[in-house]
Amino acid sequence: MSSSPLRQRPALLRISMVALLMLWSLAPMLWQLYTSLRTPESLLAGLAGLGGGWTLANYSAVLQADPPFGVYLLNSTVVGALSTLLTLALAIPCAYALSRRSDLLKLVIGGGLLAAAVFPYVLLFLALLQVARQLGLANNLLALCLPYAGLSLPLAVLLLQAAFADLPVELEENALLEGFSLGQRLRWILLPLIGPAVVSTGLLVFLFSWNEFPIALTWLSRSELLTLAPAMARIAGSSVFTVPHGAFAAATVLGGVPLLALLLIFQRQIVAGLTQGAIKG
Amino acid sequence: MINTIASGAGPTGDLRLEALNRRIAGRQILAGIDLAVAPGECLALLGPSGCGKTTILRLIAGLERPDGGRILLAGRDITALSPGRRQVAMVFQSYALYPHLSVERNLLLGMELRGVPRQRRQQEADRVLSMLQLESFRSRRPSELSGGQRQRVALARALLRRPQVFLLDEPMSNLDAQLREELRPQLRAILCGGEAPVVYVTHDQKEAMGIADRIAVLQNGRLQQCGTPQELYASPANLVVASFIGRPQINLLDRGDGSLLGIRPEHLQAVEEGGVAVRVLSREWHGASQQLTVASPHGDLRWITSGAEPINDQLRLGWQLQHEHRFDLDTGLRC
Repeated sequence: MSSSPLRQRPALLRISMVALLMLWSLAPMLWQLYTSLRTPESLLAGLAGLGGGWTLANYSAVLQADPPFGVYLLNSTVVGALSTLLTLALAIPCAYALSRRSDLLKLVIGGGLLAAAVFPYVLLFLALLQVARQLGLANNLLALCLPYAGLSLPLAVLLLQAAFADLPVELEENALLEGFSLGQRLRWILLPLIGPAVVSTGLLVFLFSWNEFPIALTWLSRSELLTLAPAMARIAGSSVFTVPHGAFAAATVLGGVPLLALLLIFQRQIVAGLTQGAIKG
Repeated sequence: MINTIASGAGPTGDLRLEALNRRIAGRQILAGIDLAVAPGECLALLGPSGCGKTTILRLIAGLERPDGGRILLAGRDITALSPGRRQVAMVFQSYALYPHLSVERNLLLGMELRGVPRQRRQQEADRVLSMLQLESFRSRRPSELSGGQRQRVALARALLRRPQVFLLDEPMSNLDAQLREELRPQLRAILCGGEAPVVYVTHDQKEAMGIADRIAVLQNGRLQQCGTPQELYASPANLVVASFIGRPQINLLDRGDGSLLGIRPEHLQAVEEGGVAVRVLSREWHGASQQLTVASPHGDLRWITSGAEPINDQLRLGWQLQHEHRFDLDTGLRC
């Protein structure tokens, strides 16, 4: 392996490229982390006063605000988890059914899903707001799952459909001959085998709902119902005279920690899910 | 012991296919297939790829529905029955072992979901594991097994189904030649002679002759001939069967009267006078035998003879009348 031509890059070049990429993607986050731990005065002093000015005050301010930041985290977690479950519960049967067809209808449905998946959903939020008003769904936290799951479904169905289609069809045929019902085949054979794809699809949905801003902003107005994104926008605009850099940065860091934890927990499945189907057999 | 495992839960009986038709996208895959397999008998479906032999298997299993005809099992019409209710076990070419489960779980899962009591399913699994010498692999995943071991696991799983029919789709094609020879008698001992009919799909005539009681030769979705290996070898019904059964292939000589003369390479013999004058083109010496290609006035001939026999470059070849096969040039039928 070590003599493979793919690995014979000069060490220096390799390391500096990696460092540059890391800096590019991680610098903004590290900057936020730094900002969140500094007093407002030390931020104005620039890098000169690194010796002092470290503080956790930003975090305690955010966590003890009214309502406390934990409420937003909880709101986002509940909406994210429910949206993910709802999406998967609908997408798995759809994807299975779609993967077992091979006709014109499958092409039409697949094309329609693709079009829906790439459609910029931001264009929909005014229309969605009308729907929410009509149906009395405004200021209802759980109702947010409906647009979130609906918007995530096309991509989720496409991803899972590809995963189902990659499984050798004999596996299910053998299960059929062994007398398994459809539910048993899904539960014991198919879903365990596409587990990585289910996990990575679920995380995509969770990520979307965690980060979603325009719909959450327009559907929710009561402050104890806010999800993270609109809540953070409120923190940023909470004072007319100053921008609360420290508090905003602390909120960003706190909002990122659960996602980081999720990614670490499911790291293996995510990588497997992303590369599934790349190599057959 | 073998018989008790291979026997079904219900009464077993013969399998009959009556006038089976199958059409896919306007193409006739199978046309009027009539076959019968007795309990414990092993029927090989032999033919080139695309001849419809796997389709027949899938129709028996219920994985596909025929466009015409009936499938009868022990006198009962199962044509419309769902695959799970047919009590049919199939060994797939790829073995179709559940890759996320250990060998033991692969065997147990089916019985578990069919509601076999825990103690009994463990007993049954242990029994087939020991019968197929798989005990030491019971906790391995399929990916950690060799091709031959995977095949045995697939076979074990099929046995546990207590099927009324065994279906095997080219179960040896992923194994190397030596292993195939070793496994053939083993497979025969386990499957055949029980109470369930066995249908065995292969494109290898040697395998079909080695394992089957009877062979059905198929081409282009039509049954060419069905009989014992001896019958097919001794009196092939047409050119397709003649050239499919027997290796090296039968020699076909145009007699100029609208018929072809077929003579098997092993039936040619060197003669002092009479016969045809030939010249040796190439030789392959195999030890016990040698295979030669010779040029004759009627075209090149394949000839197989004892490895001990010294062969000159120019000689005369003859054959006995009883070994002649005649085929109609237009229809290909034996005449």
